[in-house]
Amino acid sequence: MTATFYIAVRFATHRKRALLLSLVGVVFGVGIFIGTQAQTQGFAQFFINSTIGSNGALTLRSRFQPRHEGLVVPTKNVNALPARRNYFEGIHNVSDIMRVSRQFSNVVACSPVLRGNVSARSGFEMTTVELFGIDPASHLRTTDLAKQILDGKFDDFTNNTSAVILGYKLADQLEVGCGDSIQLLSPGGEYWRFVVAAIARSGVGAIDSTRVYAHTRLAQRLLKKPYQASMIIYKLRDPERAPALATHFETLFQHASQSWQEREESTLQLFIMLRLSAAITVSLMILLAGFGIFNVLTMSVLSKIREIAILRSIGYRQVDISAIFLWQGALIAGVGSLLGCVLGAVLTWGISKVPIHIRGLLYTNHFLVVWDWRHYFWATVLAGIAVFIASYVPAKRAAQLQPVDTLRGSSL
Amino acid sequence: MMGDISLSCRDIERYLGREEERVHALRGVSLNVEAGSLHAVVGPSGCGKSTLLYILGLLDEPDAGSLQIGSTAISHLLDEELARRRNELIGFIFQFHFLMEDFTAQENVMIPMRRLGQMNEDEMRDRAAALLKAVDLGNKLHRQSRHLSGGEQQRVAIARALANDPQVILADEPTGNLDTDNSQRAFELLANIVRERAKALLLVTHNHFIADACDWVHEMKDGRIVASHPHGQRISV
Repeated sequence: MTATFYIAVRFATHRKRALLLSLVGVVFGVGIFIGTQAQTQGFAQFFINSTIGSNGALTLRSRFQPRHEGLVVPTKNVNALPARRNYFEGIHNVSDIMRVSRQFSNVVACSPVLRGNVSARSGFEMTTVELFGIDPASHLRTTDLAKQILDGKFDDFTNNTSAVILGYKLADQLEVGCGDSIQLLSPGGEYWRFVVAAIARSGVGAIDSTRVYAHTRLAQRLLKKPYQASMIIYKLRDPERAPALATHFETLFQHASQSWQEREESTLQLFIMLRLSAAITVSLMILLAGFGIFNVLTMSVLSKIREIAILRSIGYRQVDISAIFLWQGALIAGVGSLLGCVLGAVLTWGISKVPIHIRGLLYTNHFLVVWDWRHYFWATVLAGIAVFIASYVPAKRAAQLQPVDTLRGSSL
Repeated sequence: MMGDISLSCRDIERYLGREEERVHALRGVSLNVEAGSLHAVVGPSGCGKSTLLYILGLLDEPDAGSLQIGSTAISHLLDEELARRRNELIGFIFQFHFLMEDFTAQENVMIPMRRLGQMNEDEMRDRAAALLKAVDLGNKLHRQSRHLSGGEQQRVAIARALANDPQVILADEPTGNLDTDNSQRAFELLANIVRERAKALLLVTHNHFIADACDWVHEMKDGRIVASHPHGQRISV
């Protein structure tokens, strides 16, 4: 133990009430920072997992006509807009694209989807739905649909080509359950009858209230589409790298490609704003704790002027005096952050148990949290920076005190 | 002369205060303090005794003049170097003993040793205990200094001043806050240690009897040493 650390511990523990006040500020600042980050990110993460689990991390859609640069050099100072792409609906060479896609290391699985909007009817209830024509086997590998089944069995859907899976909110709206039948209206004006094999809940309101899964072949006939898929959805090993892969796929396949980040941009921005807002609020708390520590250490310097003079007279350097007060700050930051992390973990656990009834954007019955070491790391870093800044000024002031002034005061 | 010169200063000048209130506190002070000798500086309040002591103790810097501790000339050193020399070469004793109140007697004596960093914890404890035993406080090692009497506190300060076995001990009114008995006792203790361990002691005092018991008495007036008397000569303070 260094001399300065030893003295810092003795000084800090001597003023127990001040130490406790400083610690409380840091502990609560760090704890609440962790708790709020875990909770705000919890909702965002749930949404991301749900949307990726239902719609994939990346989607490949309509083919487009490649843009070619004109042979004539354009005149300068002309704000010519880039030529618009010509899109052609549907994906025609599905198996080729999927075969090539699977060779990418980041691609875990991919699945073709034939998508279209139709009207659904059950009894007197009628609504517009989003029909997903899927291949059950490949869709199962690409999405979390099997895990999302609330009622019924996925196998019942697989084994019955005229069966459908409904989103749970849609099932509620149409007032149907497993084994009931619904009718889907084809663009030709005919009603096709389907049996509800299962009801699924993705957790994302927009999906659960509109989604109907049917077999591709039947969907193709119902929607009267000449192609097998209107999009291919991908499951990725690292969904964070989806934007780069989307750009690459677009160039490679000449099909419009969209990452989940681009697809859900507006919702994700909302979550980021909420998270930032919470982080700023709690950072202010930590800053306030820093002011508290600044006051405590300034008072400590004032009350230890005599001791500082003694230490200087027996050979302690200015940097040693600084170190004594910086060590006190470090002690407060260290112990405060440690206890704050424990409080943060307890808060996070407690928040996850708080009941909440959300049935809109998301489906949840309790607060959602994320356990992420980075919350603890950043809370500790933030507390460390705040405490260092708060300690630096008093420490510097202590080091600059002239011992002679103090000693002279008692002996002249 | 008792031995080699441990502390020496030549033509020390010191101005204190700002422009309008500037005071010429020391005017060409020269002094030699030998190992194993006791030197007293006497004079009226404000004559520059303490200023001289702080300059000799490397706590303050002279505006002119030279200073030497042992064989080393001290001039224009950085704070780090001055602090190191203070820690290694000088022991301070103050009028109000200036102990760390929340520390025990033993811990107070260990503070200079901690800074020196040449001993482990056990060695420091043993040395502090031995020094406190030498000043008759062997039974109060673990008592907080605030719970010691004035005389006991001054003896702890003496033990602390000896902690790093310094060449020079500087004392600013070491008995100024003690009653006659305790003053006599503290001084005798200090004098014995200085003589036995061949230290150089320079003390500032207003006490005639203590000054008279020193080997040399230097009279100061208006920032100058106006007279220096060897032991036994009559002085007027």
